[in-house]
Amino acid sequence: MRTAGIDIGSITAKAAIVEDGGILGTKIIFTGYNAEAAGVKVYQDLLSESGLDTSSIAKIVSTGYGRNSVKFADKTFTEIMAHAAGAYLLNPKIRTIIDIGGQDSKAIALDEHGKVRNFVMNDKCAAGTGRFLEVMARALEVNLDEFGAMSLQSKLPSKISSLCTVFAESEVISLIARGEKRPDIIAGIHESIAARVSSMIARVGVAEPVMITGGVARNAGVVDALERKLGVKIAVSSYAQVNGAIGAAVLAATL
Amino acid sequence: MSETNLEKDKRKIKSEKKMRDIMTTYYIDAKTARQNNKKVAWITSGGPVEPLIAMDIIPVYPENHGAMIGASKMGVDLCEKAETMGYSNDLCSYARSDISCATVNGGPIGGLPEPDMLVCCNNICGTVLKWYEVQARYFNVPLFIFDTPFCHTEYTKEAKRYVERQINEYILFLENICGRKMDQDHMKEVGKISFEGQKLWQEVLDTAINKPSPLTAFDAFFHLALIVTLRGTQQTIDYYQGLLAEMKERVRAGIGAIPQEKYRLLWDNLPIWYRMKWLSQKFAEHNACLVADTYTSAWCGSMKYIDESKFLDSMAEAYSRIYLNIGVDEMAKMVIEMIDKYDVDGFVLHSNRSCKPYSFGQLDIQRVVEKERGIPCLMIEADMVDERSFSESQISTRIDAFMEIIKERKISSRVRETES
Amino acid sequence: MDTIAECRKIVDQPYSYLQKLKEKSGKRMVGYVCSYTPEEIIMAAGAHPFRLFGTKQNIHLADSHLQSYCCSVVRGILEEGLSRRIDFLDGMIFPHSCDSIQRLSDIWRMNIPFGFHLDLVLPVKLNTLSAQDYMIDVLKKFSTDIGRTLQVEVTDNALRKAITTTNAIRQSIKDIYDLRSQHPRLMPGSDLYTLVRASMIMDREPLVDLLSETLSELKAKAGEEKADASLKRIILAGGICNHPDIYPMIEDAGGAVVWDDFCTGARYFTELVQEGADPIARIAGRLINRVVCPAKHTDLDGRAKHIVRLVKEENARGVIFLLFKFCDPHAFDYPDIKKYMDEAGIPVLLLEIDDPLPAEGQLKTRFEAFLEMV
Repeated sequence: MRTAGIDIGSITAKAAIVEDGGILGTKIIFTGYNAEAAGVKVYQDLLSESGLDTSSIAKIVSTGYGRNSVKFADKTFTEIMAHAAGAYLLNPKIRTIIDIGGQDSKAIALDEHGKVRNFVMNDKCAAGTGRFLEVMARALEVNLDEFGAMSLQSKLPSKISSLCTVFAESEVISLIARGEKRPDIIAGIHESIAARVSSMIARVGVAEPVMITGGVARNAGVVDALERKLGVKIAVSSYAQVNGAIGAAVLAATL
Repeated sequence: MSETNLEKDKRKIKSEKKMRDIMTTYYIDAKTARQNNKKVAWITSGGPVEPLIAMDIIPVYPENHGAMIGASKMGVDLCEKAETMGYSNDLCSYARSDISCATVNGGPIGGLPEPDMLVCCNNICGTVLKWYEVQARYFNVPLFIFDTPFCHTEYTKEAKRYVERQINEYILFLENICGRKMDQDHMKEVGKISFEGQKLWQEVLDTAINKPSPLTAFDAFFHLALIVTLRGTQQTIDYYQGLLAEMKERVRAGIGAIPQEKYRLLWDNLPIWYRMKWLSQKFAEHNACLVADTYTSAWCGSMKYIDESKFLDSMAEAYSRIYLNIGVDEMAKMVIEMIDKYDVDGFVLHSNRSCKPYSFGQLDIQRVVEKERGIPCLMIEADMVDERSFSESQISTRIDAFMEIIKERKISSRVRETES
Repeated sequence: MDTIAECRKIVDQPYSYLQKLKEKSGKRMVGYVCSYTPEEIIMAAGAHPFRLFGTKQNIHLADSHLQSYCCSVVRGILEEGLSRRIDFLDGMIFPHSCDSIQRLSDIWRMNIPFGFHLDLVLPVKLNTLSAQDYMIDVLKKFSTDIGRTLQVEVTDNALRKAITTTNAIRQSIKDIYDLRSQHPRLMPGSDLYTLVRASMIMDREPLVDLLSETLSELKAKAGEEKADASLKRIILAGGICNHPDIYPMIEDAGGAVVWDDFCTGARYFTELVQEGADPIARIAGRLINRVVCPAKHTDLDGRAKHIVRLVKEENARGVIFLLFKFCDPHAFDYPDIKKYMDEAGIPVLLLEIDDPLPAEGQLKTRFEAFLEMV
């Protein structure tokens, strides 16, 4: 059965097509201010790029913040179920999923049958999300894509104690003024975000194997900091950013 | 799925109107007390009201007023006003709303009647001590503090002696203000009526054991008002007898509180007063019924310590051992008992910024529940009266995700049952 | 001064000091969290009382037990326990203070496997006979409980001896405060902070000698000090203060902290234990008569009056309130205390603090602005 999943986030909209457990294609675009139009566009773009027709898609599931605006979906599921299903497709043994997106972060615990047992979401505070890194990248005048590699050069991460993104930005600026090196500051930023997220993860408990998804998963520095804080190896999903859409497509196959 | 108007009507609880009438009369009486030569006492929700009733003093509850302020969505304005008065926005929103309300006579009933005395029992929290100190300074009236030492693991004999002595001090306090002695026989009567009322309230809550449940926790939050405010009056007994009869009738006729009860849930902590309808509908859309809660059962939870024939004496232990005045592990035990009694599929915990004694310990209680009963738990972060701490889209997503897990589990367990 | 350097070592690395003390003396290490703790009873049981103030590390483990709207003092104390940094601890005492400490006690008891755990449910009311009797009853019960737990007998003699020691400590610290109030430049505020903090951690017998040595040295220096009328004399008020850094910030801006109303400051040593027959009743008497903590009740305006009196006695220009975020009892008191200050014509600054402190620049600016004002 061929199914599709649409994940409408507040910044990006993602689509995925899955058939019998194989991923046929994925697509990411910016959501903009019209979630409904973004849903239509990302789906259409993916179809044409994959050379497929909508008639060959049996079922469609939408997820994410804008899931209710995808009018052509057969059903909606929350990102919790969707991320769980996406990670499970890539590794059926997975037990803990960490998702750090642009505007929120979450931890999902699966039981031995792959069913969601518990979850916790941080959606009140930017300090454990991709937004935190964006703000810091601006303050440091460094490309966010270089963050991971640069932080791994650091021998001694700077200490950043502010809990609040805005005040942490002020702290980073003072560190620059004090002459601390960029790799050290970036490493400190990664320690900070890892500390925030690992507190949240501890609430569902860490059971291995662990996978990380979401845009921030591409940052090797954050992953490294998290591994050290939690004391476990973390697998990075190669479909990190589109994991939710893949999961939605997988869920569509169960309808 | 939508119901017809006829079905909706059948499902509506008829006693609601009577409650509204009773509470309206009650507040009118309170606001006209002076004209009728009656005294008004402000008292905390966990405070011993029976002696007030016995002395014919009208008890008024700033916390009940706080709930009304929340339900009428007037909490944000009043809390903002309290902040301009210098009160930190991290303080209890009941206290903030009441303190500012008193200065502007705001709120849904134009403010509470001024107190002749203040009675503060700290069995629910330490905040009420500070709140009532503020009001004692503001209104310049006598303040009685009923200090019920915390029972972490036991009700000590030292505490017993202390609290029992305070009961006598309390009665003396009331007698001095009223200028007359308490009628001991009348007090005994009031004690019996209070106990009877608590028994009836427990029976009402127990009807939720039935499937489908004839009432939800949201209904219980509404019908709670009388047992809190007028415990010890005949009116309370009459009302709950009527409500119980209505519940029993609904059970007999198979009328559930929600159209399709597939999942049963337990609620912890105070209600989110300004979003009761939204929450109720949200869960009902998932065919989930909040059948019980730890908050409303607190007003009949002390019955096991009361000796009907010696009400005043046993009042000491009854008021000291309420749900919020015991250790977290004790609370967890009671939660497990409720999970079993009402046969619930999930546990919803309101992490209420305003109430530290109720909220701190929830993370451990959640772990105990997950370990001992393995049911899914959902924590909702909000505040009981200050809507600025409520984030609708985020809470909506969490409820959806929680219900998805519960549904999956039910399907899985049914599959496993048929397979075995 | 050698004595301050010694104190600073203890304050910077309290746990290694306590571990060594435990090894050397064999005494049981008993932690506590509130200035209403009857240290004398712990000492009379042959144990060493030391106070926990929070954590200097990032809070992480405590997040699984306490929500973010709990003050960082309580979350910090739990963090120290959960992190096992203090597993040399033989036991913890939790006096009843505020709602957060109350729940901390339960959570500690449920999650921390090492050491014994004792609750001390002191009265919240202090101004009635029944409350005062209860205070004595509870202290007697505590004395029995800790005796049984440590398998010793807490004798009246041992209690009297302990009272002599603690009174000597209180008197010395008060004398140092007095001296410093007359000659603020005698000792930087951060040194005074270090001294008082060390007093809640150090072995109490050597502490008596250290304090009297410090006092003598200061008296000798005082003779050479000239009065400085340009210094703006300030009182600090609040609950727990874990930040010695605020003193140099105030001093750099031309201020001098001449007294305080802090739980971890003056309220610790205020009032001596009075003479009397029954040592437990004497200890209870001090707890009842000392300046009240906002989490307890003596009357409606006692604390406000006390702060006004302090300002007048110490000839101060203003009061800076340092209140911890999420500390309810202090936050409820503040508006009415401010009204009192306003009526008395005393300038007031309110700063909400946290562990760790907010950015240095923000605080400095506020202190400077206030000192320019007074």
